Amino acid sequence: MNNASVQPFGPPVGPPLMSSPSRVWSGQLELEFTRRQAKTWLSRSRVQAPLKVQRPFYPEGDAICHSVMLHTAGGIVGGDELAVNLLVHPEAQALVTTAAATKVYRSNGATAQQTVHIDVAAGACLEWLPQETIVFNGALYRQRLQVNLAANARWLGWEVTRLGRSARGEQFQTGLWCSHIEVWQAGQLLWVDPQRVQGGSEMMHSPHGLAGCPVIGSLACLGQPISPELVEKARQLWQPGADATINATINATVGVTRLQSGLLCRYRGTSTAAARHWFIQVWQLLRQDSLGSTRRSACLPRVWQL
Amino acid sequence: MVASNSATQSLLALLQLVSPTLPVGAYTYSEGLETLVQTAQLIDATTLEHWLTQELDSGAIRLEAAVLLRVYHSAVQQDQKQVQYWNHWLSAFRETEELREQSWQMGRSLRRLLKELHPESQSLFPEDDAPCNFATAFAIAAVVWRLDPATTVLGYLQSWAANLINAGVRLIPLGQTQGQLLLRRLSLPLEQAVEAILTLTDEQLDGCSWGVSLASMNHETLYSRLFRS
Repeated sequence: MNNASVQPFGPPVGPPLMSSPSRVWSGQLELEFTRRQAKTWLSRSRVQAPLKVQRPFYPEGDAICHSVMLHTAGGIVGGDELAVNLLVHPEAQALVTTAAATKVYRSNGATAQQTVHIDVAAGACLEWLPQETIVFNGALYRQRLQVNLAANARWLGWEVTRLGRSARGEQFQTGLWCSHIEVWQAGQLLWVDPQRVQGGSEMMHSPHGLAGCPVIGSLACLGQPISPELVEKARQLWQPGADATINATINATVGVTRLQSGLLCRYRGTSTAAARHWFIQVWQLLRQDSLGSTRRSACLPRVWQL
Repeated sequence: MVASNSATQSLLALLQLVSPTLPVGAYTYSEGLETLVQTAQLIDATTLEHWLTQELDSGAIRLEAAVLLRVYHSAVQQDQKQVQYWNHWLSAFRETEELREQSWQMGRSLRRLLKELHPESQSLFPEDDAPCNFATAFAIAAVVWRLDPATTVLGYLQSWAANLINAGVRLIPLGQTQGQLLLRRLSLPLEQAVEAILTLTDEQLDGCSWGVSLASMNHETLYSRLFRS
């Protein structure tokens, strides 16, 4: 078996997660993308339930391969261990999304884990655009995302998380959400984002933390320097009041800044739709500016059902 | 003639390192407080106290101090590679451009000062030419001046708190006495933060400081600014 967890551009990694003893899922998904004659192929896929991948499709031509991941069990429960490994070979361009929102259910005491490992080789680009994650009250969830970029590789990714099923009035009163993101380029750490939100704690309501907002989202694009003008444009794409129809009492707060060789947008508010809408526009902006080898408009995957 | 007392010498070194007169320009930075005052999220001593306490309890300064401690131990062991690793970690963690620039400018100033005072200290700094963060330089200064780890972390957090209270006094504004009262009230949270930080494992290096990030990002766009962050 070809092992896709080779890390040519990052630090050495520890042993893989051990499979769980019983009744919990130990799902795996390994995808490789390879460019041959102006086309990006899904050259290798290996899946283990409950993770699956749909047939690749090409809504914007051969250069960019779109792949949709599925979680066939409907959601993540305590004790689940999911591992996703993506390898993008030189000059390939891939977009990976999910078929639906990811649900993390209330835990019976065990923590669920998802580990995503992404390697992007020279001249390649990966767009990692999962749909939102809904973390139920009482869930215990740790996710870890590590991206290793070659010297002139690019990665754009976002995460939108709803803590508690707030649409039905549920608050994240107990439970734990941890998200650790590391992005490396040519062996150097560019961005580390170690997040922890304890359900029901002061940080949920403090203006220093989430300020009573159930939805947080981050969009990051790394691998190349970003101009101040682009940061300003990304700021202008946010429309103040986009959340107002959903919850008039809480205003969303957003911000944009430059990372080391990259750009970061943060959203803290009440609406996954408002976060996604803004992120799609910023993604479009970045594509037109410089993302990938050719300038093109963003092509929205049909599974998003916007 | 009085023989030099090492405890006294340590105390003097600490006082020098945490003094507002240390020429690193800390007083020019508000770390997003200026945004919070302009948007009426910080309005008095109580809201400022809450903000600083949250930072110490679960925020960015807590993680930074925990990494400072790691730089300290690496420098004691003269492990330049590890010093370099954690210095990169600090740069990657200071995610807004202004907070990164602040840390790098203050780190550069302190490193330059140490070079004048203790030329031999330079061998403890990373060999690469990446910018040196303030927490990195502070940890190395503490090693050179033989401060113990707990004192070093406490000193770092105390000078951070005193500086931001001073920013709050100017911005909100608060009376000087109110500022001093607030600093006294923080003595317990400071002590608790040091205790917690000393036992954090690498796996526990996480937190929640969305408010800091957003305030800092939006400081970049404020129409009028007294502070550089």
